[in-house]
Amino acid sequence: MSEVQTVDNMISITIDGIEYKAKEGEYILNAARANDVFIPAICYLTRCSPTLACRICLVEADGKQVYACNAKVKEGMEVVTSTENILTERRAIMEVYDVNHPLQCGVCDKSGECELQNYTLELAVDSQSYMIPDTKRETTNWSSVLHYDPGLCIVCERCTTVCKDMIGDAAITTAKRGGAELDKSYKESMPKDAYSMWNKLQKSVIAPSNGTGETNCSDCGECIAVCPVGALASRDFVYQSNAWDLKRVPAVAAHSSDGAQIYYEVKPTSITDRTEKIYRVTNEWNYVSLDGSARFAYDFQNTTASKDKAAFDAAIEAFKKAETIRFNAMITNEEAMMLQTLKEKMGVKLYNPEVKAFQTFLNHYEAASGNSLWTTDPDAIMKKSDFVISIGAALRNDSPAMKYAFNNVQKLNKGAGLYFHPVGDTLIPTFGKTVEVFTHKVGHEELALYLVLDLFADKEKLPEDVKEYIDSFKKTETKTIKEKEVKTVKEMVLNEETGEEEEVSKKVTEMVDKEITVTTNGLVDLLGGDASKFDAAFEKMMKKKEHFSMMLGEDLYYHEKAENIAKLVALVEATCDMDVVMTPPKSNALGVALICDLDDAQSGYTIGYNENGDFRLSALGDGDLDMPALNQQEGTLCNIGKRLLPTNAAVEYNGYELNDLMKVLVGAPELTIDWTAMLPTDRGFKAIAFDDLTNSFDNDGSDNRGYRLETSNVETDLPEVEKCDESALLEGEIAYRCNPARQFNDFTDKSHEIFEAFALYASTEKAEALGNKVEVVFDNGSITLDVLADEKITGDIVKVPDFKAAKGVYDLFGGSRYKTVTLRKV
Amino acid sequence: MEVTWIGVLIKAIIILAVISAIAGFGTYIERKVLAFMQRRLGPMHVGPYGLLQIAADGIKLFTKEDIVPQNANAFIFKIAPVITAATAFIALSAVPVFPDFTIPSWIPVLGGTFVPSIASDLNIGVLFVLGMMAAGLYGPLLAGMSQANKWGIIGAARTAVQFLSYEVVTGLSILAPIMLVGSLSFVDFNAYQAGGIGDWLVWKQPVAFVLFLIAGFAETNRTPFDLLEHEAEVVSGYATEYSGMRWGMFFIGEYANMITVSVIAAVVFLGGYDAAGTLGWLFIMAKIAFFFFLMLWVRAAWPHVRPDQLMWLCWKVLMPLAVVNIVITALVMMV
Amino acid sequence: MGLEQFKNRNVGTQNYTMVDAGHSPQGAMCQFKQVVKRTFKGELFVGLWVTMRSMIKALFANDMHTVKYPLEKLPISPRYRAIHDMLRLLESGHYRCIGCGLCEKICISNCIAMDTRYDENQRKEVSEYTINFGRCIFCGYCAEVCPELAIVHGPRYENASQQRAGFSLFEDMLTPIDKLNLQQEYDGFGAVSPNADENIKQTPLAY
Repeated sequence: MSEVQTVDNMISITIDGIEYKAKEGEYILNAARANDVFIPAICYLTRCSPTLACRICLVEADGKQVYACNAKVKEGMEVVTSTENILTERRAIMEVYDVNHPLQCGVCDKSGECELQNYTLELAVDSQSYMIPDTKRETTNWSSVLHYDPGLCIVCERCTTVCKDMIGDAAITTAKRGGAELDKSYKESMPKDAYSMWNKLQKSVIAPSNGTGETNCSDCGECIAVCPVGALASRDFVYQSNAWDLKRVPAVAAHSSDGAQIYYEVKPTSITDRTEKIYRVTNEWNYVSLDGSARFAYDFQNTTASKDKAAFDAAIEAFKKAETIRFNAMITNEEAMMLQTLKEKMGVKLYNPEVKAFQTFLNHYEAASGNSLWTTDPDAIMKKSDFVISIGAALRNDSPAMKYAFNNVQKLNKGAGLYFHPVGDTLIPTFGKTVEVFTHKVGHEELALYLVLDLFADKEKLPEDVKEYIDSFKKTETKTIKEKEVKTVKEMVLNEETGEEEEVSKKVTEMVDKEITVTTNGLVDLLGGDASKFDAAFEKMMKKKEHFSMMLGEDLYYHEKAENIAKLVALVEATCDMDVVMTPPKSNALGVALICDLDDAQSGYTIGYNENGDFRLSALGDGDLDMPALNQQEGTLCNIGKRLLPTNAAVEYNGYELNDLMKVLVGAPELTIDWTAMLPTDRGFKAIAFDDLTNSFDNDGSDNRGYRLETSNVETDLPEVEKCDESALLEGEIAYRCNPARQFNDFTDKSHEIFEAFALYASTEKAEALGNKVEVVFDNGSITLDVLADEKITGDIVKVPDFKAAKGVYDLFGGSRYKTVTLRKV
Repeated sequence: MEVTWIGVLIKAIIILAVISAIAGFGTYIERKVLAFMQRRLGPMHVGPYGLLQIAADGIKLFTKEDIVPQNANAFIFKIAPVITAATAFIALSAVPVFPDFTIPSWIPVLGGTFVPSIASDLNIGVLFVLGMMAAGLYGPLLAGMSQANKWGIIGAARTAVQFLSYEVVTGLSILAPIMLVGSLSFVDFNAYQAGGIGDWLVWKQPVAFVLFLIAGFAETNRTPFDLLEHEAEVVSGYATEYSGMRWGMFFIGEYANMITVSVIAAVVFLGGYDAAGTLGWLFIMAKIAFFFFLMLWVRAAWPHVRPDQLMWLCWKVLMPLAVVNIVITALVMMV
Repeated sequence: MGLEQFKNRNVGTQNYTMVDAGHSPQGAMCQFKQVVKRTFKGELFVGLWVTMRSMIKALFANDMHTVKYPLEKLPISPRYRAIHDMLRLLESGHYRCIGCGLCEKICISNCIAMDTRYDENQRKEVSEYTINFGRCIFCGYCAEVCPELAIVHGPRYENASQQRAGFSLFEDMLTPIDKLNLQQEYDGFGAVSPNADENIKQTPLAY
C-alpha cells in the first residue's frame, strides 16, 4: 500500500524557475530526482540518510547556500541549482577527487559507468590545481565476494551508508589511512567546501567496522552496487568484462520472496565458447536493494539440458500414472497454473510443503479479516512507517526485504521497532536505539500478538474477553519512591537601590517521598523482556510515532495454532492502526498459494519437480527430465509486495519445458507465457498478456514492474480469538528450520558465489559445546550435520537449513518450524 | 630459272610457317611497343625479356577448351576463323615475300630447286591480293552472324559496313599507281621503281599513298578503325564467343593481313625490293617493319573514331579524294 | 513549390564551369574547313610524337614506371593500415596491451575479441585475444583508440589467403621478444600527434 500522492501532502517548489510538486518534508535532492531534475551528487543515496561527504549537491535555496541532500523543501521554496560560486566549489571538489586518482581507467572494472568520470567531464575538469603526495593503499578482499581497491576509492561513503541505513549490517566504516597532511596554504586559496571535503578524504579509507580485515556481513554486495567508482567489485568479476560488453536482461531475483528487480548481465563465455553466460547481477540500487542470493546466486541455470525424446516420453508416461506432483516455490506463476490445470483435468494431487502452511494461513487470515492479502509491503513501510514490529520471522535469514525495511525505518524515519523471535540475534538491536528485542519461548507467538494488542489497540474496540485476558497479566503494586520536586518559594527582599521591599520568587528543589502505583505488564516478562524497564522504554519509543506496521514471518504459518494467530493478526488490524505484511516463504510462494489448490500430503506415484519423487523433473540437471531454471525462462513471479513481476530468460535453454509436457497431456497454448493472461482473476490476477507487462521504476522510485495483485476487502466481524495455549511450548533441545542468509534452495547452493554450507548453525557457545559434527535426531528420522558457529545467534536453539531438497528436512520437521530434537555428537 | 611446282610448294610452306611465326612474334612486339610507349616493361617473365611469351600464349590457345555456343550455327561458327586465316595467307601467295633462291645442290632430294620470291606471280597480282583481302570480309561477318550473340551481330554489321566501304578506297587509291605502272603485277611495280629512292611512287602519288595507308588500317581492323571488336563498345564484336585456337586464327589472320598491307605499301609506294642482292631484301624488310611499327605506334597514340565518323571519312573525304587523284593522274598522263 | 527542380535530371548543371572547348562547326562549309585545318595542322603527329618520346625516355632515359612487384616493393607510408602488430614496452619487454577492450568495442566490423582475467600480480591480464582478419576492414579505429599504443597497424599487407577467415592470436601479432630492439614506434593512425606536448596541461607535482 504505497502512499497515495494527494494534492494535500504535495507542496510546490521552484527549481531553476520551473515549478515542481514535492512531498512535504522531503530533501531538495530527492524532490529534484523525483521530478527528473539533475542536481549533481555523488555521496547521496535516495533511500538513505545524507552523508554530506561529497558536497557537490550544493544549491541555493531562497538565496542561501544549502546542501540539497540535507535541506528539506518548504512551500514556495526557490532553488537555484548552479550559481558561479557553486560551480567554483563543484569544480574544485571534482579537481580534488581527481588528485591522485589512478588514471588507469582502461583496466578499471567500472569501464565508463563511473560517476567520478562523469562528473569530471560534466564539470569540465581539464586541469589540476591541487597536489599532495599519494599514500600506498593495498587491495584487499573483505569477504568471499567483496573486493576493495582503496586506490580507486573516493571515500564518498555510499557503501557504508547503504550498509548501515539499508542493509543494517553496518559492516564497513571509514577508517584512518594516514595520508599526508594538507598544505595549510590551501585553506586560504581553496573554496571552503572543497577544502574540508579534501581534508576528510585525505585521511580516510573504507574498512570493515569490526576492526579485522574481514567484514563478517551478509555478503549482499549492495556496497558493490552503489560504489560510484571501481573501488568495490565482486571478487569473481574483477577484470572479467567491460560493462559495455554485457547485455542486460531485466529479471526478478529468483530465490527469496522479495522479488527484487535485477539485471542479469550476460556475455559469451570466452573467445572459444560463444554460449552466453551470466557475468554478474546488477540492480537499480536507488530503488531496490538486493540480498546476497539475488546478487550472487545467478549461475544456477540448467546447462546439461537437451531435447531428450526418450526422457520426454518417459515423463509423459510418468504423468499419466502419477498420483502426486510434489514441487516447491521455485516455480513461475505460469508453471503453477499448468500444475493446477493438471490437477483439474487429471486429478493429480499437488503437494508443496514449502507453501502449504502459508496458503492455509492466508486462508485463515482472509476468513478472519476479510482482506484477501496483507495490507502493506516493505517498500511502503520504508516510505511511511515509523514503528515496525516483527513477529515470527528470522529477519536476518527469511526475508531480506523485511530486514532492510525494519532497519531502514529505524535509520531514516527515526523509527522504533519490536522484534519477537525465539532465536536470539545480536544484529537486530544494532538497527536502532529504540529497538526492543524479545527472545521469547517457542510457542509464545500468540502472546506477542496479545502484547501488540495491549500496546496499540484501541481499547474501546477490543472484545471484552480479550481485554480481560490481557489485563489478567497485569499486576499492580504500590511503591514508594523518592522524587525530585521543584517548589517555588516567595521571599521578601530589600532592594538596596530603592530601599523598598520587593517580593521575589525562588525555585527550590527538594527530595520528596511519594507513593505511586506501578502496573507491571506480565506479558513483557513472559516474552523474555524486562517489564520494569519496558514501560519507560516504550514511552520513549512511542514519541512522535504515527504509522505502525507489523511484519509476520514463516514461524507463524507453521505454528500449531496458526489459525488462532491469523485471527489475532486480523484483530490487531481491526483494532490497532496497524498495517500488516507477511513474508511468503521463498521465491514464488505467494503465486503458488494463490494459483494452486494444494493437498496436505503426497501419496502413491510421485513426480518431483525440483523435489524428491519417483520421477524427477529437475532444473538442477540431475533429474529424469530436464527443466529450465528460473534464469532460463520467461514468466511471472509474485512477491512480498503483492506484485506480479515479469522475468526474462538470460541464458539459453535447449531442453523441454513443462509447457511441452502440457501440450501432450492436456493441450496447451504455444508458449509458456501464453498462460500469463490466463491466471485466475478471482485470486487477484489480471488478464494481461506477458508482453504487455511494464517493467520499470519511476524517477520517484515507484514500482511499475508488472502489476499489483487486486486485493479485496470484505467487512467482517471481529474474530473470536483463543487464549494462548501454553501446551504448545517446546522444551529441551530445539532445532529451528532456518537457512543461512544467502541460501534458499538447491539453486542458490548450486551457484558458485554462494559459499554457505549445509550445516547446523548455532551460537558460538553452543557450537563449542556441540563439537564439529552432530546427528540431529527427530521423531521420524535424523540428519548428520557439521556444526558451524554463527556469532550473531544467541541462545541454545540451533538452526537446521532446508535448502537441499534431497535431504528431506521439511519431512523431518513435519508441519512445523521448531522441533524438539536430540543432538548427538558424532 | 624455271618455277617448278615443288618450288611453289616449298614457298607456300615457308610463307605459312614464317608468316604465322611472325604473326605470333608480332603480338609480342605489339605488347612490348605499347608497353614502352606507356613507360611499362611489357611481358618480362616468360623467357628472357618475355620472349617465350609467344610460346606460352600458343600453349594456352591450343589447350584452351573449345566452346561452341549452344544456339550458334556450329558449322559456320567453326569455318569462319578458317576463312579469315586462309584468305589472309592466300593473299600473301601473290605478294613477293623474301627473295627467290635456289636450294643448294648438296641438299638431297630438293637440291637445285628454285624457290621463287612470289609463290604465284600472277599478272593480276594487285587485283588478286585486294580481292582476297576483300573476301576476308566473310570471316568476321560469318563469325558474327553465326554465334547467336548480339555483340557478334553488331560486330558483323560493322564488319560489312567498314570492309565494303574501305575496299572502295583501297581500290581507287591504288588505281592511280597502277595507271602509272601499267601493270597489275608486283614484279612490274618493283621494276618500275628500280631506279632508286627518286623513282619511288610515293613521290608521284603521295595522295594515293596516304589514302592507301588509311584504307589499309581500316582493312586490317587496326586502331583507329578497330570498330569491329572494340571492347568498350561491343565487347569483342564478331569474336565475342570465340576462344582458344579459333580466336587465335582470327588473330593470325589479322596479323597476316597487317603484313600483307605492309608489303603492298612497301612494294607499291616505297620502291619494293631490289632484285639485285641481299641488301634490297634488307631494305624491304625494313620498310615492312616500318609499316608494321607504324600500326602499333598509331595504336598507342590515337583514339579510335566513331562509326559515323568512319563512314563520313570514307565516303565524303577519302573516296572523293581518290577519284580526284585518279582524274588528275589520268590528265597528267594524257598530257 | 513547383516540380521543375525535380524534373531537371542534370543535377548540378547550373553550377558547372564550362571549359573553353571551342565551337562545334556549324554547317557543311565550317565542318569542311575544320577537317582541312586539322588535317594539315598535324595534330595527329603531335600524338605520335608524344608516344614516341615516352618510348625513347622509357628505353634510354630509364624512365620506366613498372615495379616488378614480388621482386621489388614500393615503400609504404607509415599511415598505411595493414595487418596489426602488438607492441611491447621497450624497457621491460612486457606487452603493452592492458586489456581495456576499447579496440573490441570500437571495432566496426566486430572482428576483435578478447578475454581478460585477474592475474596473480593483481593486474588485468589478457588471457586471449583474436582478430578475425576475414572480417577486418583495416579501418584503423583500433589503433586510433588504443590508449597504450599497443595495437598498431604493421607493414605486412600481403595477406591473400585461400581461406575465408584467418584468425590471428595475440602471440602471432606480438613483437617477438628477441626482436624487441627492432620494434619500430608506429607513426600512423592513432599515434601521438606531433604537437601532443602542447596540448597537455601540467599537473602540479612539487613534492
